[in-house]
Amino acid sequence: MVQPVLEWQAGTVTAIRPETQQTKSFTLALPKWMVHRPGQHYDVRLSAPDGYQTERSYSIASPPERVGELELTVERIPDGEVSPYLHDVLVPGDQLEVRGPIGGYFVWDVSLGGPLLLIAGGSGVVPLMAMLRHRAAQHSTVPARILYSSRTGGDVIYREELDGLAAGDRAFEAFYTFTRQPPAGWTGYRRRIDAGMLAEVIKPFGQRARVYVCGPTLLVEAVANALVEMELPTAQIRTERFGPTGA
Amino acid sequence: MENDDSDMNTALMVDGNAVAGQLEQIFGRDMTMTVTRCAGCSRDAEMGALMAFIRGPGVVLRCPACQNAIARIVETPTAIYLEARGAAYLRMAPRP
Repeated sequence: MVQPVLEWQAGTVTAIRPETQQTKSFTLALPKWMVHRPGQHYDVRLSAPDGYQTERSYSIASPPERVGELELTVERIPDGEVSPYLHDVLVPGDQLEVRGPIGGYFVWDVSLGGPLLLIAGGSGVVPLMAMLRHRAAQHSTVPARILYSSRTGGDVIYREELDGLAAGDRAFEAFYTFTRQPPAGWTGYRRRIDAGMLAEVIKPFGQRARVYVCGPTLLVEAVANALVEMELPTAQIRTERFGPTGA
Repeated sequence: MENDDSDMNTALMVDGNAVAGQLEQIFGRDMTMTVTRCAGCSRDAEMGALMAFIRGPGVVLRCPACQNAIARIVETPTAIYLEARGAAYLRMAPRP
């Protein structure tokens, strides 16, 4: 297989869907769509009339089974250069310059097997959702769990879909924790992810767990260090840090 | 490296995966699974797992074990500079 050259192409925005107050999902139709691996990302490039260009990477939320189009879920960073444009200016019908799919490190597909433990902070859930959507589309029975940290109940992206997946699949469970304001009546975790919480969630999988951690850098650092202290083999831990923002 | 600046540096750090697009543009292939051996501490790491600092005018990739600068990338309007004296070598699969 010859790897095609990575090149910029103009996608057309076909739908924009709000997920939470701070996040929206953007569906793009691509003239040169390529099958991706769950966990990969696309680069998005904006160009100003004076020639100034800036780009950011956004994780693919859709599974590779969705042929011809691509969904990116983007958190609005108030002082960001790209995400406020996507949130506040872009409308369906507009074109957006993208290149991808990119990356071979933070990827999972059913051929890699499990058990699969996904750990998300804030919008770090996006690439993990692509993995879960792919797993569901393939009717995979690989045991999977997600532990998802958010600030408040209103900040949980894909909550209904995750709960729906868990309700219809005995091999998948979703766990949430809230660091500021849990939803009313919440009886689950209400603190930052720590070693004790990780030990509880990973327990049925033990040392065989393949773990993917995505979120703000400090969360990922803390989780990765805790997993190493639990003596999980480092080759089974994949991390993706996205910097200072998020839950 | 033990004050607030270092905390801020840590918070701004991302993974080599974040510059996968730029690396692929330079090398013509995905580089995130390419292994680099650190010239400082001899540890091997996939490029996707290197510490990446991308908020400056260029990109700095550091060893996740010893924080040695493995590579620096700067793009100008007319050239791409890739300085990689912090890497003893790169090891990648041959093209299929």
